[in-house]
Amino acid sequence: MTVDPNAATQGFPTPSPAHGRPHPARYLVPALVAAAVALALGAYGKVHDPAGTAFNLAGFSSTGAVKSWLATAAFAFALVQVVSALMVYGRLPGPGWSGALHRWSGRAAFLVSVPVAVHCLYALGYQTYETRVLWHSLLGCFFFGAFSAKMLLLRSERLPSWLLPIVGGLVFAVFTIVWLTSALWFFRTFGVTT
Amino acid sequence: MKRPGPLLTLLAGLVLGLFLLTLNATTGTKPASSSYQSPKPYQSPKPSASPSPTPTSTPSPAPSPSATPIPDADYAGRTDDDSAAIAVTLRDGRAIAYFCDGRAEEAWLKGPVAEDGTLRLTGKNGARLDGTLKEGKQIRGTVDVGGAHHSFTADRAKKPSGLYRATATVRGATIDGGWIVLKDGSQVGILTRDGKPSPAPRIDPETGTVTVDGQQLTARPATP
Repeated sequence: MTVDPNAATQGFPTPSPAHGRPHPARYLVPALVAAAVALALGAYGKVHDPAGTAFNLAGFSSTGAVKSWLATAAFAFALVQVVSALMVYGRLPGPGWSGALHRWSGRAAFLVSVPVAVHCLYALGYQTYETRVLWHSLLGCFFFGAFSAKMLLLRSERLPSWLLPIVGGLVFAVFTIVWLTSALWFFRTFGVTT
Repeated sequence: MKRPGPLLTLLAGLVLGLFLLTLNATTGTKPASSSYQSPKPYQSPKPSASPSPTPTSTPSPAPSPSATPIPDADYAGRTDDDSAAIAVTLRDGRAIAYFCDGRAEEAWLKGPVAEDGTLRLTGKNGARLDGTLKEGKQIRGTVDVGGAHHSFTADRAKKPSGLYRATATVRGATIDGGWIVLKDGSQVGILTRDGKPSPAPRIDPETGTVTVDGQQLTARPATP
């Protein structure tokens, strides 16, 4: 993957005072994309006939265990995200490479969570038969929408300084609930197995 | 100037997701798809896995080596065409089997188990199952339900996978639900309300609880 090593994660170029308010598309496009992603995932999960089975990884007893471990890895990366974001914003003392750490741990977390989401949507679908499952389905779809919005917001400059931390915090909070309602539940129900 | 990094991240995730989806879809339709589950007979140690034993865990009576009766056991698996699940429970030389496609077609079958491990089970509407027990590890055979003929393989199942059934009356409707919990944790079940089948809500395989039309029921391991 090609990455601009000089890409800034903070300290947006000071807005030129000539223009007043940024164009509303700056917020609208990410918000609309987020809604479209979340709705598309939910609709696929609802309409698609859950297959029940899917690909398994060697060395694991069940797809549930595979998913729980992948999700837990993603959650660990998400914790790194919070810490490195605090470093980037100067709230914690951090090294100069904390920006790179933030970018790459985020990518790792996202890419690790994709197979889990694919299995969820392909094999299980959007389900509402109990509270835990309802929240997991709802927020799981919401998470990928919110994450898409976060990624797209990163591309625009001259955002209000509070926006990215708020959206990033939201993404982390939602992911935490998604993890609590799935992987933690799995480990508590079936034991910490591989 | 736009930064390409975030967009590339999103695209990479999308490509990975689509790749996995096609992988799932293509392997899912192959008749051999169930084979990737069978090589491992679920031997992984699960020390703290099921601390609460559920009703059926009848400790299999120490088999006397001379008589070699058919050991009590549960078996669960899928048809070779992957269109339906099948589970068989053996108790005291008798068997109950459940065939279920998770949508509309289901059948309960019963019958004796011969000394040599041959099963000939029958059910309503001409449903029929012929199978052979292979060294207590696996049942292979064929099942005829609703005019369709399927071959199947059911591996020895360990809790919480196996066969569950719940019958009750909820708001005046007679409910009859059957569930097959497979070893990967997935479930295939049908809930019949006054004779009308529909996909069943998931049960909690640890406790057997399931919520049907707002009422909580308990599905119990099915026995002959």
